[in-house]
Amino acid sequence: MTDDLVARAQAGDQTAFRDLYHQHAGRVYALCLRLTGDAYAAEERTQDVFVRLWEKVRLFRGESAFSSWLHRLAVNVVMNEHRTTGRRERRVATAENPESLEPHVGHSTEGLSIDLERAIAELPDGAREVFVLYDVEGYGHGEIASLTGIAEGTSKAQLFRARRLLREKLER
Amino acid sequence: MNERELQDAVKGLPKSIEPPRDLWPGIQNRIGRQWWRPRWYWVTVPLAAAAALVAVLVGRSGPAAWDVAPLAGRPLLGTKPLVASGRLRVGDWLQTDDSSRALIAVGKIGQVEVRPGTRVQLIAARADDHRLALARGTIDAKVDAIPRLFFVETAAGTAIDLGCAYTLETDSLGNGLLHVTGGEVEFQTAERSSRVPLGAMVQIRPAIGAGIPYVEDAPEPFVHALATFDFKNGGARSTRTVLALARAQDAISLWHLLQRVDPSLRGAVYDRLAALLPPPAGVTRAAALVLDQPALDSYWQKIHRILFRRTVLRGVREIDPKTGTTIH
Repeated sequence: MTDDLVARAQAGDQTAFRDLYHQHAGRVYALCLRLTGDAYAAEERTQDVFVRLWEKVRLFRGESAFSSWLHRLAVNVVMNEHRTTGRRERRVATAENPESLEPHVGHSTEGLSIDLERAIAELPDGAREVFVLYDVEGYGHGEIASLTGIAEGTSKAQLFRARRLLREKLER
Repeated sequence: MNERELQDAVKGLPKSIEPPRDLWPGIQNRIGRQWWRPRWYWVTVPLAAAAALVAVLVGRSGPAAWDVAPLAGRPLLGTKPLVASGRLRVGDWLQTDDSSRALIAVGKIGQVEVRPGTRVQLIAARADDHRLALARGTIDAKVDAIPRLFFVETAAGTAIDLGCAYTLETDSLGNGLLHVTGGEVEFQTAERSSRVPLGAMVQIRPAIGAGIPYVEDAPEPFVHALATFDFKNGGARSTRTVLALARAQDAISLWHLLQRVDPSLRGAVYDRLAALLPPPAGVTRAAALVLDQPALDSYWQKIHRILFRRTVLRGVREIDPKTGTTIH
């Protein structure tokens, strides 16, 4: 199904591309939300990701799963935005509006998830990005270094810092 | 919570979170302008590069958009009528006609009411730079934030929020008035700046910027004399008129005048100011005449404090404009 949609999107079919968007929007938005810590910025980045996808989809050769390829594209879009603008948005939106983080799928630990999401959103930018990429998304420190432009050692230090801050926040 | 518990909690995070609104229309709008047509590829490459450059330049102003809602009538957001709440994006214009009004949320730090006959553009929407351009008309701004986060650009200069509420009106050329109703605003051009506190106002003019601020209850002849000095090259003659008409309540005007008159006139301005509202301890005539900034700031604090008391206690208590104490 996805392969067919991708092939049609590569041929310029906007209807297929819309269906691809609806299939993957939740995954991309969750990533953008956690990386930016800001609900408004996450919406903007999600749109940026799919606009970029529209431009790049022809380059997808099927050498990995489409979802993995899109995920990598999304990380690049968000990190490039940070590098380009040097923007450091305050993360008040998510901190004040935890409902925006509430998953739309059933989950047995929903309350804890929301607390954790809020705590992640309140982390300092560098610590949050490394934590999300390493602990949530499963990237290695080498990959994080190349994605974010920081040294591997810095990535490790940020991860340590993020985990410590999260434990402190969640214990309060 | 230990490390293991944290890792378990992370594993429980949902992989997917649906956006709070449908983002597809915005995406469709953007990609609709760039249908992929292979035979035009080499034509579109330079266009795409130009678009990327524009995106980078726009991106520097921030990603964002502010909420906007109509208060009356149908303001125009871009070229479309704003019938319900919408989003004012960087670069967007909002325009009201004679019967419409709108309310803009300034990020998360305040709001701006756009009165009838006004045209504003969102210039930047970053956490450290909330910036509107007021092309013409009137806005009422209320901001609750640390100083210098909210800016309004006009043809005459830039109003810089120092934690305040104010009304700013201007015509398309930059002739207008800034009236501060809370906190303090700085109106700045490349050449000069004016500090306008609660209870004061200042006229603005193109190519000149802000004149000398004056209090709300300043007598008309005094305001006229200031305008002559500011905008008609009044010089020594209008300076003398201002000094002769000044009251203790007009100390904020003399404080600004001190810094704008010819150095040969500073002594006369300082002496009149000191007679009307004595300087605080530590401020000397010599320091003031060379425009020593700490001395001027110290004097300003005293003037500001007294004006604040006079303004907020108006109708409740009578305040001595020379000392700021209650008159019994």
